[in-house]
Amino acid sequence: MTPTVSASGLSLHYGGTRALDDVSLRLSGGVTGLLGPNGAGKTTLLRVLATAVPADRGAFTVLGHDPGTSRGRQEVRRHLGYLPQTPGFHPDFTAFEFVDYVAILKELTDRTARHREVRRVLDEVGLADVRGKRIKKLSGGMRQRVALAAALVGDPEFVVLDEPTVGLDPEQRMRFRELVAQAGEGRTVLLSTHQTEDVAMLCNRVVVLADGTVRFDGTPGELTAQAAGRVWSSEERDPGAKAGWRTGAGTFRNVGDPPAGAELLEPTLEDGYLLTLDGAGAEVTA
Amino acid sequence: MTTTLDTPAVVAARPRASWAAVFALARFEARRLLLRMPVLVAFAVYLAWIVWRTRDSFGGFPALQDADRATQGGPLLVGLAVLLSANHAVLRSGRYGTDRHFAVLVLQPWRRTVAHLLSVVPVTLLATVCVAGQFTWEALKPGAVGHGSPAELLVGPLSVLLLGAFGVLLARLLAAPLAAPLLIVFLLLFSVFTSGFGGQGWSRWLMPVVGEGSSHTLPSDLLGRPAAWHALYLAGLALSAALLAVLLSGGARLRTVQAGVAGAVALTLVGAVGQSRDVPQETSEARTRVSVAPEKVQHCDERDGTTYCAFPEWTPRTGDWAEVVDGVRSLAGPGAQDRPLVVRQRVDARYGLDSDPLLAPSARPGEVTVGTAWGGNRIPEFATAVAGVLVTGKEEAVSGICDGRMVTVMWLALADLPDPMAGLRSVRLDDSDTGSAIVVSQTEPLRMSAAHTELVRELLQRPRNETAAQVRSNWAELTAPDVTTDRVAQMLGLDVPEPDEEEDECL
Amino acid sequence: MPVSAGPVSAVLVRPLARTLPWRMIAAAGTLGLLLAATPRLAGEGANAWLAVTSLRASAVAFALGAAFLLDDPARNTTAAVPTRRVVRHGLRLALMAPVAALWWTGALLLVPRELRPPAAGITVEAAAVLVLALTGAAFAIHRGDGARPGQAVAGFLLASAVLGPLLSPGSWALFVTPDDPRWAAAHDRWALLLCAVLAAGALCAAEPVRRFRLRRLMSPSGTSDPSRA
Repeated sequence: MTPTVSASGLSLHYGGTRALDDVSLRLSGGVTGLLGPNGAGKTTLLRVLATAVPADRGAFTVLGHDPGTSRGRQEVRRHLGYLPQTPGFHPDFTAFEFVDYVAILKELTDRTARHREVRRVLDEVGLADVRGKRIKKLSGGMRQRVALAAALVGDPEFVVLDEPTVGLDPEQRMRFRELVAQAGEGRTVLLSTHQTEDVAMLCNRVVVLADGTVRFDGTPGELTAQAAGRVWSSEERDPGAKAGWRTGAGTFRNVGDPPAGAELLEPTLEDGYLLTLDGAGAEVTA
Repeated sequence: MTTTLDTPAVVAARPRASWAAVFALARFEARRLLLRMPVLVAFAVYLAWIVWRTRDSFGGFPALQDADRATQGGPLLVGLAVLLSANHAVLRSGRYGTDRHFAVLVLQPWRRTVAHLLSVVPVTLLATVCVAGQFTWEALKPGAVGHGSPAELLVGPLSVLLLGAFGVLLARLLAAPLAAPLLIVFLLLFSVFTSGFGGQGWSRWLMPVVGEGSSHTLPSDLLGRPAAWHALYLAGLALSAALLAVLLSGGARLRTVQAGVAGAVALTLVGAVGQSRDVPQETSEARTRVSVAPEKVQHCDERDGTTYCAFPEWTPRTGDWAEVVDGVRSLAGPGAQDRPLVVRQRVDARYGLDSDPLLAPSARPGEVTVGTAWGGNRIPEFATAVAGVLVTGKEEAVSGICDGRMVTVMWLALADLPDPMAGLRSVRLDDSDTGSAIVVSQTEPLRMSAAHTELVRELLQRPRNETAAQVRSNWAELTAPDVTTDRVAQMLGLDVPEPDEEEDECL
Repeated sequence: MPVSAGPVSAVLVRPLARTLPWRMIAAAGTLGLLLAATPRLAGEGANAWLAVTSLRASAVAFALGAAFLLDDPARNTTAAVPTRRVVRHGLRLALMAPVAALWWTGALLLVPRELRPPAAGITVEAAAVLVLALTGAAFAIHRGDGARPGQAVAGFLLASAVLGPLLSPGSWALFVTPDDPRWAAAHDRWALLLCAVLAAGALCAAEPVRRFRLRRLMSPSGTSDPSRA
């Protein structure tokens, strides 16, 4: 199967800071989660892949088009949906008008078809009832969904979502997961998040980024397996543990290299993530 | 996570902590304000202007009652930058949507306004340092005379304070980032308009910096500028703007703020009324006395046969005058070398700084007029007057010279200067050194014909002592009324100039 | 599934017109007209110098409003749409151009006929100031300085307007009155300035495909082939 996105050696510097360092990736169908601590370069990578900012070095193709050329970038953008980390709006537009405006910018010029499509995505993100409301009157979660609708309008084949679940309440987040899972059917979705549960529940693939480099690339199961045999429980916090915290049951859950005879626990994706970061020398806090 | 039940209201109820927070915020904002690009650029340009201007301002001989006013324009540039930056600083929280966070903070909006207002103070102090530096530089020049006025010096820093407070007020009135730039354009055109047009009477004193139409220097007690009232007016206006900003951002409930606004407005009105009064009677009388009978207030000093009478503030300058007089005298012929001269300082102060009246030449024999300014072109102009009196005996007679004596007068005046040819060009109205021209003087102008000019130029290019000897030996004939230019040329061993239509033509 | 039926720009005009900072432009334009009316309000005291100065101030005021033209709060949401930046910016310009022309005509007509400076010359000056504002905004966006560069650009424009007359070399004589013999030569220089700023603006209108870095020129490891640009 031809990968939707194929990137090699992507690097980008801001002043003296290295935001991306030789990142290579291949993405195809389904939802891929991008995990990493703050400042790991997640947003930068997404912005590069969404063609919002060019990389210093390296090359990538999306659906076979090279965004390194003006024409190629144009082609890529015709098949791209992008939700930035802090989406901006025209607050005087209604939700419908705003998504319609983005749809025009996505070259949907036939009025009837476009309006049908805008109504479809607004229904899809659950905003059918408020589509006539001005954006400045909408709540934070609703605005986030307007932005998602703007990303999904035009049925793009490659969707880039930068922390789409930030600021959503648990119910909204569940609904959002449904949406993204739906979107992932027949498309390639790349989403960045701090929430390991999002990844565990949604993604068929996970990439861990730290200090601008890829630390892990595999399935969520493989990431969880990183922690197999490295999670144990104890009565006190184990000083040899990389991380340890008291659970609701009163015992300590430790992650790291267990002492002999320790009572091993079933690892989670989060344990695997923490150990991946730790192996890379990143600071682990629980 | 645990929650404590200590309510933040306990903190808010401690006024001292709130004020400490206000000062901390003011320090933070002041640092940001000082580092804002417009303020940095304005200070850079202002400092460059101070250095560029003060290096050779007032010909190196400043009168401090003029130098204080010269410090007022520069700070306006800083003031405009502060207006813009302080305005944007207040609007910053609205622009980035942080006002929703700030709305629930302990520090109330009016206290934040106070902090923004206080943040203007360090910039004002920096401007004060610049003003003080510029003035001190002038005062330390060896040729400096007179007295500066602290109130005039305060105008620059007060303008910065006023404009900064106005920037904060504007942000509290209109939460639009475009308001401040538009206001600045409006203020600039308005100031251009008022300085060029509605320029008379009380209304001109409503602007922060009030210039004068005249550039001549008066004794400091005759200026008649209500400088102290104007400083009070500016301070009152700045305070009114500041307190009004506090009032608008929720301080209206506070009695002290209400009373403060009333007090500040009253202060402004007192200043405005004070500055719009006419020149006091005693100043007008003193002006007339100084203009009509300067000898009554002057101090005279005799040196080498010349009496120097100067206004009290100018007595240190008699040495500079004596140098010129001695130089001209040393070249003159017998009789003139030890003719008693009186150098009298005169000024026409009757119209204050409204106009530049020309002084009438002195009618007393042997009296030379010197003005209040010195340095640059004033030196050869004074030398010309001295030479004229040595040749004709009376200043009144000098401007009437149209015969060959003009050559002697001009040579005497210029030959002892460090660069005589430059001196020749600088005393002539058109800065030329050929052809006929008007010669500027402190009293009435003189006129050089093309032939005079040619002869003077040739004389100045010859060795000085050779000419001096010829002048001395022919002194009586050279200074005789109606001596022709041709005859002067013959006596001094020069070629007779080409006949000219206007030759020796006394108009 | 791009559903296209005609050029994007035609459909885009209406929603884009709503995103323009009309209130800013209206405020700046109103003040500009007020400034241009100064010679008329001054009555007897007005002269040609006041007239040309008020028109200059008026042009700066309008340009200050126009500096906000490219401000777009939704810029990052629409960062990766296929409609090119040059089309989006061009449409904004096209929407404002008639307003600016109409406004400037009004400003000129407000100045009494006998005081009015030669229209061509003063128009070139006004156009140069306006284009400077727009180029400043385009440059800020080109450099990636946020969604709303208007305020910074207005500050820059204001600084140029205040410092330009103070610091520009006297021999350029950019700020002369119509009775000055250098008026024509000065406006050749203004026209030159206008063209230079226009060219810079045109360069900033395109979205960069790659970041310009010195290192790329020195190292062959840049994998994007420059010959395809």
